[in-house]
Amino acid sequence: MRCEQVQQQLADLLTSGSEAIDDPEVRQHLEGCAACRHEAAALDQLWSGLGRIPPAVPDSTAMRARFASMLAGYEQGREGAAASRMSSWVVRWWRQPLVQLAAAAVLLALGVTVGRASRPAPAADEMASVRSELREMRQMVTLTLMQQQSASDRIKGVTWSSTLEQPGSEVVSALLDTLLHDPNVNVRLAAIDALARFAGEQQVRQGAIEALRSASSPMVQIALIDFVVGVRDTGSIDTLKKLVADPALNEMVRRRASQGLDRLGAKS
Amino acid sequence: MAAVRDGDLSRLGLLFERHHTGLFDFFSRTLGDRPAAEDLVQEVFIRVLKYRRTYRDDGRFQTWMFHIARNVRNDHLRKRRPDQLMADMPEPEAAGTDQAAAVEHAEDLERLRRALLRLPDDRRELVVLARYHGMTHEEIGAVLRVEPGTVRVRLHRALKELRTLVETMTTGERTPCDANKSSSSLRTF
Repeated sequence: MRCEQVQQQLADLLTSGSEAIDDPEVRQHLEGCAACRHEAAALDQLWSGLGRIPPAVPDSTAMRARFASMLAGYEQGREGAAASRMSSWVVRWWRQPLVQLAAAAVLLALGVTVGRASRPAPAADEMASVRSELREMRQMVTLTLMQQQSASDRIKGVTWSSTLEQPGSEVVSALLDTLLHDPNVNVRLAAIDALARFAGEQQVRQGAIEALRSASSPMVQIALIDFVVGVRDTGSIDTLKKLVADPALNEMVRRRASQGLDRLGAKS
Repeated sequence: MAAVRDGDLSRLGLLFERHHTGLFDFFSRTLGDRPAAEDLVQEVFIRVLKYRRTYRDDGRFQTWMFHIARNVRNDHLRKRRPDQLMADMPEPEAAGTDQAAAVEHAEDLERLRRALLRLPDDRRELVVLARYHGMTHEEIGAVLRVEPGTVRVRLHRALKELRTLVETMTTGERTPCDANKSSSSLRTF
């Protein structure tokens, strides 16, 4: 029995939930083949590791409410469809361009009148001020977390940044700083993910290319290649070419850079 | 589901209760995007309503539902901007009494979680269906409309690729000092 066949059978055993190796041929092979024993142990550890990644917990209450509203809307729609067949002449009348034009003119006049008559209420100003303070506080918490000693706190800070509705330039700069200088790979990867929403900004694209030039972790390099290729930044072509040409670089990184060049329409 | 197909839409609530958590898990693990996962669960039930008349009693409801879920997910991936990356999955929590070992354990799981998210879509989907939804090769084959033999070969390749990714990440992080400690990157799972 060949190693490849044995290894396929080992994967089958794991993924089919079997607990014991029944096939005597496989057992015999494993006794005499250290490479397959190592493969078996590694696969088993990978499979049980996957089982320990906790599930995300859904907000079932909110989802239930949305579902109920969707179902009610669907049922209403069915009833409405029946009603609309009866009043289809109203629809035909409404679709006349002159009728639509008249309705639009009436609504416009009404809007202008109401708009002129009303003034912004003081309560609205207060609410805006509270919102602004809340936004600043969230931003401050994010920036503070990103300065912490613990890597998991810094990841929390980076993740928090994605909850900010209108993050200021300080947050973008802090994320770029994290990407370029944080010593922990997971924090840098989280920063790449968080920067995706700012991919339209020139300084973010520049920062990503700069980080790609200096990154040493293959995982970070791959994530950065995906980032610059994903935003179709042609300014990254030179850097990608250098990566492809670097014989000392991780093979997987070079391959990803080469694929990236293809996607950008530049020959590697 | 047969009752829903025959017009009793109130029974759909029961199906939602039974399956929304599993669907959410499928979407959140394959997309790494929690808000999108919640939206897509709703979209699945909209399509269940829309296509209820195509349901046949001879197949398992779960297989039919996951087939729809897969289409919903593919449509979402097509619409998603290429610069939208995956990030939003829960971090594994450290467990155990030995603090240092617990931290190392959590880091290993975090690395594995990230590696799973970096796996190509089709392979990640296979691993998630097999590992987290307990589907057999035959059931996955029915969802993906491929032969069970094809599923087992692809699943094996996906696991090998996942291992390579984890090892690449570990090599990238490991200091020379760490490298002397162990030659296996998967030892602490």
